Amino acid sequence: MILSGWESVFFWVFALAALVAGLLTVMARNAVHSALFLISALVSVAALFVLLGAEFIAGVQILVYVGGVMVLFLFVIMLVNVGAEEREQEELFNRPAQVTAAVCFAALLVFGLFYAINQSAPRFGANAEERAPGAAADARLRRAATGVSRISVDTQRVGGSLYRYGALPFEIASVLLLVAIVGSVLLARTSKQELAADDVDPRVVSELSAAGELTPAEIEAAAARRAHAEDVWAQSKS
Amino acid sequence: MNTLFTPALALLQDSMLDNMRQGVTHPDLSKFLIIAALLFAVGVAGVLTRRNIIVIFMSIELILNAANLNFIAFSRYLQETGGVNAVAGQVFTVFIIVVAAAEAAIGLGLVIALYRNRETIFVDKIDLLKW
Repeated sequence: MILSGWESVFFWVFALAALVAGLLTVMARNAVHSALFLISALVSVAALFVLLGAEFIAGVQILVYVGGVMVLFLFVIMLVNVGAEEREQEELFNRPAQVTAAVCFAALLVFGLFYAINQSAPRFGANAEERAPGAAADARLRRAATGVSRISVDTQRVGGSLYRYGALPFEIASVLLLVAIVGSVLLARTSKQELAADDVDPRVVSELSAAGELTPAEIEAAAARRAHAEDVWAQSKS
Repeated sequence: MNTLFTPALALLQDSMLDNMRQGVTHPDLSKFLIIAALLFAVGVAGVLTRRNIIVIFMSIELILNAANLNFIAFSRYLQETGGVNAVAGQVFTVFIIVVAAAEAAIGLGLVIALYRNRETIFVDKIDLLKW
């Protein structure tokens, strides 16, 4: 696997962009800036995926990460108050001793990984001469309908092998997503919503009303809503 | 002095600089691995040093992406060397992205619940279980 020509130029551009954006994600004071830098890092990594011939994964990366997960992050940043950090009232990082230890550990990790990669690098390029260069490999692909580009069969093979070898993990992943949906709905409920679903211990209700978080009117309204829902359910069954 | 260093410099130019130039103009698998290692280390540093729990979650996403980059690079490498099931790396990456999405949803739900109860998102202030 050796890139050449414009591919190598694009490799260095996107690799440096990913690294710089990743560093700025960690360093940025404003959490929204952090999220935006993380988006650019993820897009750069998606571009590296395209360079590696994994167009499907690059598309999934853009759709799921940038389109879904990062929008979720931005919403949560808006919901919680991160203003104190921004206004420089709060420290950005942990205590200096912990930061020093963490940075030393990360540097050690980089050196260890570099050492391991350099040790095994000659074996990666073992039969580089025998392998077909990129252009020849490209010429073997099927022509697209317009005739100006080639279609890689990679996505087809990923789909096939996803269902052939990964059918059980695929099903487990769908159950995991279901659990994640239910879990996040449960975690993000307010006490009023819990009350409306009749999901609260009466002692907790009395504690909450004593603390002033729930007024008696709200408790009654929730009970009325629940009674109405039970009526509708009984009518739909009869 | 100069005569002492000349052969060493020549050797350096011959082997090491040539190697480096070759590596820069023709990036191979090891360059992808190095970029992924650096991204991973940046993510680890973010997790260990930041106080804001949302930024810690973002650093975890960075770490997972570094792992994805490794998987895809090895998948491409195996394809060109004639591996048996070369797209396995890409399949694994799909699952990692699924798990990362689920983790982000649950984690951010936790952050919202935490903020509602404790009014803070700084991890050093959340020390109820600290002994």
